[in-house]
Amino acid sequence: MDTAFIILSLITVAGAVWAVTLRNLIHAVLSLVLFFFGIAGFFFYLNADFVGWVQILVYVGAVAILAIFAVMLTHNLTAEDEPGFFSLRWLTGMAIAATVGAVLWFAIRSNAAMSQTAPAGVASNVADIGRKMMTDWVVPFEVVSLLLTAAMIGAIVIAMEQISHRK
Amino acid sequence: MLGNGLLQGLVVTARNFIRSYFDPERLTTVQYPEERVTLPENSRSFPFLVYDGTPDNLRCVACKICEQECPPQCIYIEVERDPKTGKPVRRPRVFDIDYSVCMQCQICAEVCPFDAIKMDQVYELAGTDRFGGMLHDKAALLKSNEYYHQIRPTEADEVDARLSQSKKKVSPPIAKPAAVPPAQPVPPKTDV
Amino acid sequence: MYNFFDQLFVALGAWLVGLVVAAGNGVSKLCCGQPMSEAAAHNVAAGTQVVLICVTIYGVFALCFGLATWLERKMLARIQNRYGPNRVGPFGLLQFVADGVKMLTKEDIVPARADKLVHFLAPAIVLAPALLMFGFLPFGRNMAPTDLDTAVIAFFAVGAGSELALFMAGWGSRNKYSILGALRAVAQMISYEIPLVLAAVPVVMIVGSLSTSQIVAAQGTDSFLDVKGWFVWTPWGFAGFILFLIAATAESNRSPFDIPEGESEIIAGFHVEYSGFKFALFFMAEYLGMMAMAGLGVTLFLGGWHGPKLLPSWAWFMLKGFLIVCWLIWLRGTLPRLRVDQLMAFAWKAMLPFALFNIFATAVWFYLPKTTFLQSAVAWIITAALVVAAYLVISRFVSRRAGAPRVYRYAS
Repeated sequence: MDTAFIILSLITVAGAVWAVTLRNLIHAVLSLVLFFFGIAGFFFYLNADFVGWVQILVYVGAVAILAIFAVMLTHNLTAEDEPGFFSLRWLTGMAIAATVGAVLWFAIRSNAAMSQTAPAGVASNVADIGRKMMTDWVVPFEVVSLLLTAAMIGAIVIAMEQISHRK
Repeated sequence: MLGNGLLQGLVVTARNFIRSYFDPERLTTVQYPEERVTLPENSRSFPFLVYDGTPDNLRCVACKICEQECPPQCIYIEVERDPKTGKPVRRPRVFDIDYSVCMQCQICAEVCPFDAIKMDQVYELAGTDRFGGMLHDKAALLKSNEYYHQIRPTEADEVDARLSQSKKKVSPPIAKPAAVPPAQPVPPKTDV
Repeated sequence: MYNFFDQLFVALGAWLVGLVVAAGNGVSKLCCGQPMSEAAAHNVAAGTQVVLICVTIYGVFALCFGLATWLERKMLARIQNRYGPNRVGPFGLLQFVADGVKMLTKEDIVPARADKLVHFLAPAIVLAPALLMFGFLPFGRNMAPTDLDTAVIAFFAVGAGSELALFMAGWGSRNKYSILGALRAVAQMISYEIPLVLAAVPVVMIVGSLSTSQIVAAQGTDSFLDVKGWFVWTPWGFAGFILFLIAATAESNRSPFDIPEGESEIIAGFHVEYSGFKFALFFMAEYLGMMAMAGLGVTLFLGGWHGPKLLPSWAWFMLKGFLIVCWLIWLRGTLPRLRVDQLMAFAWKAMLPFALFNIFATAVWFYLPKTTFLQSAVAWIITAALVVAAYLVISRFVSRRAGAPRVYRYAS
């Protein structure tokens, strides 16, 4: 529990909390971006440089922008009437959050691999990641690319339908 | 082939860039205040009073026609009176033009029967005082006939020919001033 | 002698760090009676090194930014048959100082209905990635500020951070035209990021590492004229370099891709509501981004700091970067602005397929034998034929679409 971990956790948790509680949706998305930076910081802390940079490149550079576009193109930009304290909605939410938190806590604490510290001095070898992806994990790699292709084709089909409808 | 037009455009701009250093006609910028654009002869700015020979020999007889005809009424004339007899003499004692009111319409020059007030070409008249600083009195307005020949040669020649025919107070026809060329532009400031 | 000038800045930095450590030792001797421990001295040295590198990069590249604005104004002026600024210093060199003073002393106007926090943070967040990108480039022999194993990905990741700041600027101003300009800017930047990264992939493939220092080292030969090993002389390297230049122009929002800040259309797009120093920060971030992209282009394709050993290595790097900046200014003076749908079509329909095919051509080059001169020549010709064929096919496809009759769609 050294200083870097505490600071990173503060940033990440603050980003996550603001992302769900802020009323202005654009501010919420920007705090989500802060959260992504925090997660990237965790990757760097665990000596996984490549994954950290790819996290910034993909999440901050693409996913956050997608979220911003989605928020921009909807009209209702402030939250609805927020439920008061101790209402039924709030109580249900707290109960579910507590359950999920307890399950995660026990799962992480009981797993021996999770309680090790990061091996120091092991540089993430990008060549190793590439090699593993092409040999041990090639099937998930191909399945993910197939999924992305399907998503792209779906998007194009939807856009073409819109164009043909407008004609 | 894609990119052909782009390459041709790049060649054109590169040619412009290189030739702008060697071909002085390409750069049409007039680097004010070292150079000035030579104005055509008919351009006008503000009126001035003409004198022949000495400033006492001014052509104006204080007939007050220009004061009456001036649309924004920027001219103020007071006739000079003989100190002994008190009778009006044919000279102006006070001749003020307010340049901040003058709209340069040239009507005063058109109606003057004595060719005493003509239009100048000077435009660098900026001052710091908006109220009294733009009021030019008789001493400031008086400029010689040689100066008139310098800025408007053809017009001045025609005026002199007309005046010498009618025998008013005028000096003999002035020979075209020989060595008074128009303001030479200073050579352009050397540049990168 | 050559080595002295080549390693001049490295030696200077080491001397300054030594000074600081000696001063620290002196201070600790005064107060504690003994010099600092090994670990403390090491920390002080490392800290001083970091501060020195940061100060040097900021100082040098802020000066380069000023000179880049001067160069741009003079070059554009000469292309357009007029003088540039020539009053403020000799040949107008101090114009950027005058501009800086003007921008610093202007009133800072914030729109009343603007989102204050977002409006305030945007200029800072747009400048930080621009400055950070300089940390991944090797400026000379032994002169890389950091030696990351993943420097190329880090460069692009950091560049992606500035897109977010553009959106924040446009949104925070609460102005229709700002938001429109910001959305167009973001769309343009994410579209052109893909060809940019894909143009850099062949280099990474051939070198086998994402580290910029290794990429530069792979382009060096041990001769006096260190020119033969540059990747730009290979067919895939040339194609990649062209792609990279076009994508870098689009990433920095420069003409002909300057729809986001089109001065004659959308006034100034996303930075229309910014005045004074905040506008100066946007301006600086754009020029610094342009210079960092030029630096990466030099590193990936033009051999980094390699060059004939007549000039020091850092001088070669700066010279090559300067040439790329001149090319960008020349391009700005030549081309009209692209319309936004032409821009996007160009990225997705022309550049992306070409970049993907370039990767394939690189793989062909990699696996062809290149031991004898004849074999290398054959490999070069085959790869060049592949790249040229792809270019012709794509250009035919693009031209055919461009000449088609326009389809008008009306709102119903």
